[in-house]
Amino acid sequence: MASIDAISRNLMLDSLMAYAKRRIPYDLIRELDAKNEFPADILKEMYDPAILGVHLLMIPEEYGGVSGGSYDIYRICEALARIDLGIATGVFATFLGTDPLNVGGTVEQKEKWLRRIASERLLVAYAATEADAGSDLVNLRTRAEHVVANGRITGYRITGNKQWISNGGVADMYTVLAMAPGGPSWFIVEKDMEGFSPNKHEDKHGIRLSNTAGLSLDNVLVPAANLIGMEEGKGLLQAQAVFGYTRLMVAAFGLGAGSEALEQAVRYSQQRIQAGTPLSEKQGYTHKLIVPNAVRLEAARSYIEETANRLDGGEHGLQTEGSIAKYSASEAGNHAAEDAIQALGGYGYTKDFPVEKIKRDVKITCIYEGTSEIMEMTIYRGRWQEHLKTRGRYYFDMADKMDALHAENPDTGAHASALALRALGAVMEECRVQKLTRHQHVTFKLGKLIAAAEVAACFSRAAAADKYSETVRFDKQGWQAMARIFARETALAAAAEGLALVLGVAENAGTLSDAVNIDAVQAAQKGMLADMDLVALKLKQAFKAK
Amino acid sequence: MNIVVCVKQVPDTTEVKINMETGTLIRAGVPSIINPYDHFALAAALELKKKHNFKVTALSMGPPQAKSVVQMAMALGADEGVLLSDMAFAGSDTWATSYALAKAIKKIGKTDMVFCGMQAIDGDTAQTGPGVAQQLGMAQITFCESVEVDGRRIIARRLIDGGHETVEAKAPVTLTMIMDREYVARYPSFPAVHGSLKKPFHVWSAADIGAEDQYLGLKGSPTQVNKIYPPAQKEKAAMFSGSGQEGARKILEIMRGEHFIE
Amino acid sequence: MIEVSKKCIGCSKCVPVCPFAAVSMSDKKAVMNEACTLCGACVQVCPVQAITITREEASARDLTGYKGVWVYVELSETDGGGAAKAGPRKIRKVVLELLSAGRRLADELGEDLCAVLLTDKNHSYEKELGPYGADKIYMVEHDELFEYNTDIFSTVIVSLVNRHKPSVILYGASIQGRDLAPRVASTLYVGLTADCTALAIKDGLLLQSRPAFGGNIMADILSPNSRPQMATVRPNVMKINEPVHGRSALVVRETAKLDRSLRRVKVLERSMAGDTGTVRIESADIIVSGGRGMKSKERFKQLEELSGLLGGVVGASRAAVDLGFKEKHHQVGQSGTTVSPKLYLAFGISGAVQHIVGMKASDVIVAVNKDPNAPIFNVARYGIVGDAHEIVPKLIEALKGK
Repeated sequence: MASIDAISRNLMLDSLMAYAKRRIPYDLIRELDAKNEFPADILKEMYDPAILGVHLLMIPEEYGGVSGGSYDIYRICEALARIDLGIATGVFATFLGTDPLNVGGTVEQKEKWLRRIASERLLVAYAATEADAGSDLVNLRTRAEHVVANGRITGYRITGNKQWISNGGVADMYTVLAMAPGGPSWFIVEKDMEGFSPNKHEDKHGIRLSNTAGLSLDNVLVPAANLIGMEEGKGLLQAQAVFGYTRLMVAAFGLGAGSEALEQAVRYSQQRIQAGTPLSEKQGYTHKLIVPNAVRLEAARSYIEETANRLDGGEHGLQTEGSIAKYSASEAGNHAAEDAIQALGGYGYTKDFPVEKIKRDVKITCIYEGTSEIMEMTIYRGRWQEHLKTRGRYYFDMADKMDALHAENPDTGAHASALALRALGAVMEECRVQKLTRHQHVTFKLGKLIAAAEVAACFSRAAAADKYSETVRFDKQGWQAMARIFARETALAAAAEGLALVLGVAENAGTLSDAVNIDAVQAAQKGMLADMDLVALKLKQAFKAK
Repeated sequence: MNIVVCVKQVPDTTEVKINMETGTLIRAGVPSIINPYDHFALAAALELKKKHNFKVTALSMGPPQAKSVVQMAMALGADEGVLLSDMAFAGSDTWATSYALAKAIKKIGKTDMVFCGMQAIDGDTAQTGPGVAQQLGMAQITFCESVEVDGRRIIARRLIDGGHETVEAKAPVTLTMIMDREYVARYPSFPAVHGSLKKPFHVWSAADIGAEDQYLGLKGSPTQVNKIYPPAQKEKAAMFSGSGQEGARKILEIMRGEHFIE
Repeated sequence: MIEVSKKCIGCSKCVPVCPFAAVSMSDKKAVMNEACTLCGACVQVCPVQAITITREEASARDLTGYKGVWVYVELSETDGGGAAKAGPRKIRKVVLELLSAGRRLADELGEDLCAVLLTDKNHSYEKELGPYGADKIYMVEHDELFEYNTDIFSTVIVSLVNRHKPSVILYGASIQGRDLAPRVASTLYVGLTADCTALAIKDGLLLQSRPAFGGNIMADILSPNSRPQMATVRPNVMKINEPVHGRSALVVRETAKLDRSLRRVKVLERSMAGDTGTVRIESADIIVSGGRGMKSKERFKQLEELSGLLGGVVGASRAAVDLGFKEKHHQVGQSGTTVSPKLYLAFGISGAVQHIVGMKASDVIVAVNKDPNAPIFNVARYGIVGDAHEIVPKLIEALKGK
């Protein structure tokens, strides 16, 4: 789906933020967080087409929605995460629960269910996870048995247990993954069907405004018409097909929550005076707790946006990209929130300031929709195939493009990005030659290095653009400095950690120590401090003390 | 009746930053919003539309992205939108702005009421509304809290220095609105924003409204900005902390030190 | 310039449409009188395009002969409305501020300072205007001037300007001044600068300084190519000169032909707040102000006791007014009243820009807020980080104990 025009999108965002400001002040969030309470009335209002109608973004125009694209949904998810990640998760669950229908539903099913979701403000839950089937859905235990009458399949009897289902205890409608005789399949289950019952609401570390519960399905009779796609065995494909895009939403959550924490820290740092000057003037503070987080978050932002635009441009799948986006943004968000507590010192450790809650909330983004470790594995798997397919050229080709970019625009860190990509390509090739990928540790670590190098390249590209996207709060000077910092750090990691990874397993590293070009990587560090000073200044200007 | 509401897109002045070295405004990254007073004026107009089924046209002047405030007005219920966008308008002061808006309102057609916010938060002049009224030859009722219509009679409760008055006038009238609890400044829902794309929206240039070049922009503006600079900085406050008794004692000490009490 | 050409067929369609009753028929031809504001209503209805308006080009305008600094004398309104009569209206304080500022400008220009007074009845106003610096008073006495009315007052001012050609006109940036001045400026096509906080003469021109962008920035404004140069001046900013007793002003009586039909907006009802003997917030020396941090209406009431003990007046932030803690006419800030007391005590006010622009001119600001980062501390001389609603009762206790 193509994205909505920028003006309409931003009007929707303004409406969302205005609603949050009026209806969901921090005091209320804090109270609900303490009580572990799901604000059903707020969610219903957010789904009310006369008030907001947030969920309509996921529903095509022909079924009564507003046909949001990936970019729109990323923007809304980021905004939701800035409000409260628990509430965001409540909305997300509906998005996610609607997905199997969007992807695999027949026209009749869409007409019926999407229209109902749009007009009846239905809360939806996505029920895939089980005790033994988390990020990996292969070990499904929930069964769907045929109900046959007059030789025709008229329905299914579903039995099983689901775990950690967002909106689990409060949804009106569930999309449930179950093993049918023909293979894993999605079914639509309504809350009042006999034999269906949600379990208790979990007492969680964070996102406590989100209802999370297990589900019990005891011989629940579901009409055959509720089998999504009217064909058994398509469930995993349908689930996989949307990962590129659902993981982008979680990426936006990590970005939003992390950016909110960071901005609060930046604002605070300009008011807190220590030894005569504000904290924002001290390198020991900014260059440790502020600048690196801003750089990582903006890098992740550039990657999320590029991926969203590709999806909106009609590319399909992009599962590896979705995983890189989620992994980078959720880890960056988590790191930023952690440092924000440190940056606020004693205040940060109290519940009077929202950073403490953000820190607890944002951790979930490294867990749900595939843990960070599953992401490392997925990223490695996706790109290892490319490495083999191109006979090791994959990252060298990408590096050549970075060199070309550097020749055109030397200020965007493209040179360091190229160094990172070449080092990565060399490390992967050495791993192939020495068959090191039989060690899981090596593969996961490669996943990490791959994510960083690709994000660095993307950030360099984005920082070279003539016009920045509507989300960038920094001028060219500031954003390019961030791209340079990220590229330098990534080059250093790819070269040093890549080499160390190989040396840690193999007898020797062959020519790898030359190939990672550590001298050039180190030479590329020139100007780092000046860039960090500049970014610290730009952050201060962008997020003035209130 | 036909109503025109003038809405302006302004930088959120609570987010405006100053470059202290150069004394200039840093506009990058400052969000643009609908002028809050115009937001209330729009709410007042839409309330009348709901009650009397009047036609409401939203009018703005600004760069192409100012379409945003017009579209917002349409999403909230305005029937039509007009944006005056032309380099010739750039640099207009309140006189030249009023001239252009009045020209546009004449082009929109027979207008019984013009609603404006009392002032815009970026300029705080409160001059454009009366200027539009004068150029259209309309009566003006400024600083209104609430407006009622009874046939051709328009009755408004307005603020005056030290009190309130209720006034009446026959249409056509230009009204400027303060922000008051009488009206709720709403934001449009997602489907309303989406639906507003289908409403008639026009972008007009200076030529389209028959505005004469000599009255537009810097050339047509009698006032000129001579210099922009940051306001004088106050010295930092002397800070103390203390709740209850301790805080009270501190305040007494301060008031004694400043000779407000013995 | 407005001109009626020979094409006029004498259909008189333009007579009723004129909002200022400025058109009449003479020898079967339309004639415009001095009430004409060049609004163009007649041009639009003329079936034969006989009426044309031409405006002088700004740069080509003749600026010679414009002399004198004028101050518009604003009178307070009284309860009632319509023809209801009450006690004599008073000269508002801002007029004295304008006279003091205007005196300085007039001296620098070597010109006269003139007060412009429109009233239905003169209550010896000259006895007050003279000592505060006016050299001359243009006085228009007319029954129709019994209360402020946009159309009538602007028509009179425009005709006085055309007759006497002042160089500068100052108005208070009060509600009345901000209703009148733009109407006059628009009619005359002259520059008007709103809400000035400083005025000076630079190379013979009026240099007008004003805050913009919610007080984030200051701008100096000139109106070089049109006369008079007009400004509205923020109340409570200009210092009032000591009156010179015995100094008198020359009263120049002016006549105006005013028709009842000019009054398009009629007052049905008027109520003045704060006329009940209590000190008005804009002229108070001590203001005890509260915001959201006072938590409840009941606790907010304690501020009244406190201000009573200190001999002050209660103010409120917009948030406090919105929450119903206090009536709107106690609101301090951009959408309320601008104040500059000697002492401003702010309890539980975080200090939104819109509040700060209304009180930052106070001599001494003492702010109490539990958030150490509250922006109110940026304008305060003394800041106390603590819970306002806990401190207030203790303060009352201590003051009572003395």
